[in-house]
Amino acid sequence: MQLYDPTVTGPERNYARAAQLSSLEGKTIGLLENGKLNAVNMLRETAALFEQRHGCTVLPLFSKSNASAPAPSETIRAAADEVDFLLTGLGD
Amino acid sequence: MSLASARIHEVDDDPLAAIDYCYAQGWTDGLPVVPPDVQRVEAMLLFEGRPPETVLAAHPATGLECTVHAAAVNAVMAGCKPEYLPVVVAALEAMNEPGFNFHGSTASTGGSAPLLVVSGPVIDDIGMNADVNLFGPGNRANATIGRAVRLILMNVFRMIPGVSDKSTQGNPGKFSFCIAERRAGNPWPLLVEDLDYPPGVSSVTVFAGGGFCNVENHGGNTPEMVLGSIADAMANYGCITLGQSVVVLSPEHVRVIAATGWSKQQVQEFLFSHAARTVEGMQSVGKYRQREYDKQHSDAGGSPLVEAGKMHRGLSPDDILVVMGGGDAGGHSSFIPSWSRGRGSIMQSKPIGVCIDCD
Repeated sequence: MQLYDPTVTGPERNYARAAQLSSLEGKTIGLLENGKLNAVNMLRETAALFEQRHGCTVLPLFSKSNASAPAPSETIRAAADEVDFLLTGLGD
Repeated sequence: MSLASARIHEVDDDPLAAIDYCYAQGWTDGLPVVPPDVQRVEAMLLFEGRPPETVLAAHPATGLECTVHAAAVNAVMAGCKPEYLPVVVAALEAMNEPGFNFHGSTASTGGSAPLLVVSGPVIDDIGMNADVNLFGPGNRANATIGRAVRLILMNVFRMIPGVSDKSTQGNPGKFSFCIAERRAGNPWPLLVEDLDYPPGVSSVTVFAGGGFCNVENHGGNTPEMVLGSIADAMANYGCITLGQSVVVLSPEHVRVIAATGWSKQQVQEFLFSHAARTVEGMQSVGKYRQREYDKQHSDAGGSPLVEAGKMHRGLSPDDILVVMGGGDAGGHSSFIPSWSRGRGSIMQSKPIGVCIDCD
């Protein structure tokens, strides 16, 4: 008996980790909130620790309207242009 | 017509061994599948006019694509007859609309299952059930069309329970969640007619649904009494959100409502008006959010039926899909809440087996 395989193979994609920061001191932080109930609180609390401990600067929030869908490309590009690193999380 | 790149597994000529082989490969939803024998798949493909490599849906994060061929293979495994394939195909095309967000609704802790509501002549053509035991069990077409969608989510898009499907408690509808709209005794335009598809065309509407809620009311003898009990179920604290709703009215309830001449739109408006909780009530259970209130009560786009000081279910009466289904006897309707708490998934519809206004 011959059976077709019900799965498919995905496209080749080249992903790479961003280069690690050599230091956190004085870096600029972006916050990407997803609209969930406690997302903003959680992100601000976390960012405050980076401010206190490493003198980081926190930019105004970036937001996405749909928690369960990827952030729009333009949001990601805008953040990448302005920040040294980005904090995000679910916040439920 | 086959697909040159399709991968084939050689197994012993023993159906039971083939079923075990499918289990061993991780190709099942937990129940036995029909082994996707090459001949059966080829027969299935005859019911789709486009080439087998035609892409029906693509996963936004992984880039995995469901072709006509892959859909047919999984439909065979689900137990579909070849003539069911166009319904499966249309459902996938509807789920592929960005507004449906099939990745989010499948991966979420919320336990969503794609509810398929089929409307139009295809129901009789392929023997779907719109009557007794609407949600199952008992009808091959209903059961296997819904199951085919689940197998495609698992096998093609790799939405694997516990890995990429993180549903906290799951949902029986995740095995299969497919119904047909009842035409017999239905006093209102069918869903396919509301969608403005040409006469003779059938449609499938997909909805990222939460769990099924039975609404029992055998004593209500006015529209307000019957619909009041449904609105109360829709507004229960456990699931009231700004999300959409599906309400499947039983024939017995429809007879009570339609006897007074109410239209489907009046039903929607009544349900929207009455499926509501006070702000204080929402606050008492920790579910009140000011920005949701503001969104629902804003002048721009807000429904005139919205009442100050209350949170309604959904944003407008149009967020409530009302169809008729089920057996003649019994005051049992059902309400299915959306998985989405807002606009994270919006129900989508497609015509079955035909191309209307497509590229």
